Amino acid sequence: MNDTIQCEAATRRFTSRGLAPVTAVDAADLVVRNGEFVAIEGPSGSGKTTLLGLLAGIDQVDDGRVTVLGHDLARLTATERARLRRTKIGVVFQSFGLVSALSAGENVALPLALAGLSVRDRRTRALEGLAEVGLPDAFDLRVDELSGGERQRVGVARALIANPGLVLADEPAGSLDNDTAERVLSLLERTCRQRGASLVLVTHDPISASHADRRIRMFDGHLINGAA
Amino acid sequence: MILLNHAWRLVVREPRRALASGLGVMLAAALLVSVVLFGTASGATVTRRALADVPIDAQAVLSTGADANAAAALLAADPAVSTVLPADVIHFDSATLMKAGAATQTSIGIVVGLDPKFSQVTGLYGISQGSLGSGAVAISRDLATNVGATPGDTLTFTLPGGSTVDLKVSGIVNITGADLLLGPIDAAHRAAGANAPVNVAITDRATAARLAAAIPAGTGAMDPSAGGNGPTGGTAIVTIPEPAVRHELDIRYDHAQLPGDPSAAKIWLDQVRRRIERQANGTLTLADDASASLESVAKDLAWGQVLFIFLALPGVLLALVLSRFSAESSAESTRRHAALLRARGASERALLAVFVGTTALTALLGAIVGAGLGVVLSVGIFGTELAATNAESMVIASVLLTVLATTILATLAGAVPIRRQLRDEVAAGRHELQRQRRPLWQRLYLDVIALAGAVIVYVLVGGSGVHPVLNAEGNPTVSLALTSFVAPFLLWVGGTLALLRLVGYATARSGRLAAALRGPLGPGGELAGRSISARAGAASRAIVLMALAVSFATSVLIFNATYRQQQRVDAALTLGADIKAVSTARIDSSAVAMVAGPGITSATPFSDRVVYVGSEAQDMLAIDPATLPTTTQLSNGFFQGLDARAAMAALAAQPDGVLVSAETAKDYSVVPGDLLRIRVPDASGNLRQVDFHMVGIALEFPTAPKDAFMVANLAYVSAQTGDNRITSVLASSNGDGAAATLQSRLGPSWTVADIGTTTARLANSVTSVDLQALVVIDVGFAVVIAGIGVMLFLLAGLSERKRELATLLAVGADFGQLRATMIGEASVVGAAGILAGLTTGGLVGLTLLAILAGVFDPPADLPVLPIAAILAVVGAVVVALVGAVLVASRAAVRIDVLAALRER
Repeated sequence: MNDTIQCEAATRRFTSRGLAPVTAVDAADLVVRNGEFVAIEGPSGSGKTTLLGLLAGIDQVDDGRVTVLGHDLARLTATERARLRRTKIGVVFQSFGLVSALSAGENVALPLALAGLSVRDRRTRALEGLAEVGLPDAFDLRVDELSGGERQRVGVARALIANPGLVLADEPAGSLDNDTAERVLSLLERTCRQRGASLVLVTHDPISASHADRRIRMFDGHLINGAA
Repeated sequence: MILLNHAWRLVVREPRRALASGLGVMLAAALLVSVVLFGTASGATVTRRALADVPIDAQAVLSTGADANAAAALLAADPAVSTVLPADVIHFDSATLMKAGAATQTSIGIVVGLDPKFSQVTGLYGISQGSLGSGAVAISRDLATNVGATPGDTLTFTLPGGSTVDLKVSGIVNITGADLLLGPIDAAHRAAGANAPVNVAITDRATAARLAAAIPAGTGAMDPSAGGNGPTGGTAIVTIPEPAVRHELDIRYDHAQLPGDPSAAKIWLDQVRRRIERQANGTLTLADDASASLESVAKDLAWGQVLFIFLALPGVLLALVLSRFSAESSAESTRRHAALLRARGASERALLAVFVGTTALTALLGAIVGAGLGVVLSVGIFGTELAATNAESMVIASVLLTVLATTILATLAGAVPIRRQLRDEVAAGRHELQRQRRPLWQRLYLDVIALAGAVIVYVLVGGSGVHPVLNAEGNPTVSLALTSFVAPFLLWVGGTLALLRLVGYATARSGRLAAALRGPLGPGGELAGRSISARAGAASRAIVLMALAVSFATSVLIFNATYRQQQRVDAALTLGADIKAVSTARIDSSAVAMVAGPGITSATPFSDRVVYVGSEAQDMLAIDPATLPTTTQLSNGFFQGLDARAAMAALAAQPDGVLVSAETAKDYSVVPGDLLRIRVPDASGNLRQVDFHMVGIALEFPTAPKDAFMVANLAYVSAQTGDNRITSVLASSNGDGAAATLQSRLGPSWTVADIGTTTARLANSVTSVDLQALVVIDVGFAVVIAGIGVMLFLLAGLSERKRELATLLAVGADFGQLRATMIGEASVVGAAGILAGLTTGGLVGLTLLAILAGVFDPPADLPVLPIAAILAVVGAVVVALVGAVLVASRAAVRIDVLAALRER
């Protein structure tokens, strides 16, 4: 098995009362190979984030099939999909997605905490993760004590803490200035490549997409070129 | 207008926000309306019960030369009148007893001439010893004491004008409850609080006519107040003399026609009086006795209503706190909308106007719905009593006032956090860099000051701010200072703030909490611990809201349980036991076996006879000390220097033992062990000297009057006098139907009274109100408020943390772990709230009981802890918590993770 992601005619429709159904992802075919860095580009409302949600198992297809790391997501229960996310998929968000009740280190260790690891093991691995993203002393810092770039680096460390086979990043540099965005993207790319994890980057920014091995455009729910 | 329109559209467009904001106001309005209407309904109950105790509603005094038959016919024809009874009141200047060559004379008094059926219809003038023979008199115990007369003696009455009449004493009459009938009836004397004479004799009307004939026409009596037991009012200023002879027609009204509200009832009575006097055309003057009784009722009721509102006030405040809590929980929505309006150029003042306008509109809607709910609840719970008041205008006024008051209060309560939210929005950046200051009340230590104030006020009012006092008519009424409520109020406020401070400290330092919750609930529990620490402010508010709701319910339950117990003790004190059976035939102790049977758990013989200590007549209660304690509840407060068990044991151990009243012990300087020689009537009514030894002091005793009485062994008294007659059999029962069963078993020659009907005829009107409906309302609202408070905490948490929860789901939390988080949060809030609530509720309940101890007669030995009811409240709160967790869990499942993650 060389493919991290296999998407076959994946379709996701949304219906709102009184409005015509909207097909956010329309018969999308996509293959991402192990260790590959793929950028999915497109304007706002093109269906990028919905596709990312389908790949993460947060949302489910109406038609078609999504296989991630060998798992047909439609065949998994919600709990099994949650377990897959915390053990094999890392997610990075545009708005950092940090839990303000937790310290920076506890945020990094969150997938491990959800997996039931001991406090000591979590701390050890979170400290390593923070050091890897250049924040060796940030474990006990509160989230609101970190800058935007630092917060996103914590987000990257959390996405990688469980050694995932796949990292999904939704506009990870969208909230950052250019210099910081460049540093964060480089960090994400480097660490994924070092660990051999596949990286799917969803963005509307061509500069961010330029780091990718392969660039795929998305428009009105359709993947335009190079999907397979 | 534009701003108001915008505010209205905001309410309509965000119905959930409006519902959350209006919920607290709705509960406050519903509770307030229910309590006010309960007060109105209890007014009807109190009026009905107060007038049920009035034997005669009015005295129609005939003018000189008026035709008594024509006046009686006129009165009987009035639609309000149900019974007309003639009575003649003849004043005498003195009464003299010649005995053993010595004359003993007493001062002024009255002889009352009555028809034989008078006593039967009114229940007044019961003969406690001997009988009322034709041409003879039965004299009051005081008159007997004053001249040393016993049945068989002959008294010489000196009448106004100087003539004398000799009348044989055939018995002793009980004049309890007849003060108004015996006292002066003119307005001047009544207004001055003149006492009724204590030297009273009753006789048949023919004898009364003979006395009247001996008094010259137009002669006045001596000032009647001079015959009283000492001044209680300004009798010296009354100079208008009573006529020496008064012919009157005593009237009972049809009470079904009386309005329930005491003030309306007084107006109705006044209208009837004016109508009758107008129709009588000067032949009679009406003295309104019922109105005089209602005056004290109206005053008691006013204080009772203060008590009801005080009991419910914490609930109203809680509901308003809930309203503020929900306003704070919609901060995120307010922030977003404010940002939108700012972007469109709205000024800060306009923003404030829009959001305060929205709050006012939701408060108004909530108040209207709540007031309607309150009316529906009231009709459902005490609709019958409410309907009896005919107080539609009162209901409408209550609803309007409640809507106005709760709308204003809720708007003010909601405006404060809105103002802060808008201000914080602007200063958000600054705030992140500043250390948050403690609230003003914490910096000023208002919690400590309020608690200290509670202690100081409690000490200053001597632990009891309420005292029953006798009014001019001799009825017990309640004297209640408003300061009585200051100590429990300060305790409640201080306790609340102190609790808020402590909970704030505890939740902010809850690193261990996460570890403690991780054990039973896994990672979700750990997150709950972290979340509570991070949201210490909201968590402590929820805990305090929960604690106060439980505290409110607990204090009301403790107060009510003790109140009900004392109501029963009070009733048992009046009746003697659950059931009192009196036979028209002569009975002895063997009648106990007749009473024993289905529904009767215990029975004891009881004898009440008039005895003489020196020349003073007293009631001697002869009992069986072995069976009385198992039949009736003897409170330790009944005795001085020993408890109930020791008092009965002392009597049982010493056959000639006697418990005397404190007054007797003081007057005769006797102490336990001293010999008392008492004259006790034998079977033929002759007095026999019997030796007793004092074993203790009884302050009160079942069936005993409040003044002079003594308690002795029935077996000893029977043996010494050769008279084994008893006056009643007292019994305890296992249910309400036992009295009716017993009555049908014993037949018409017996009269069976039960505690249920006696409870309804208690001495003062505050304790005669059944608080059960109020308790149901108060406790019900407390449970609802607790449940909604926790639900708001959890849901507000969801709303505030939607992105965080979405993040948790995105990084691999499953719904079970999210549910565990909510269970953990609800458990901490619930456990802390319930424990703190039970503690503060217990303290407030005990303080309230201590402050209101004077309402109860006798005071409670110990407060009653209604464990089952309190556990039921805790159970209901736990059920509400579980419901809140389920609702919040369902809401968590429905979070649109991707949309939440995209929110900025």
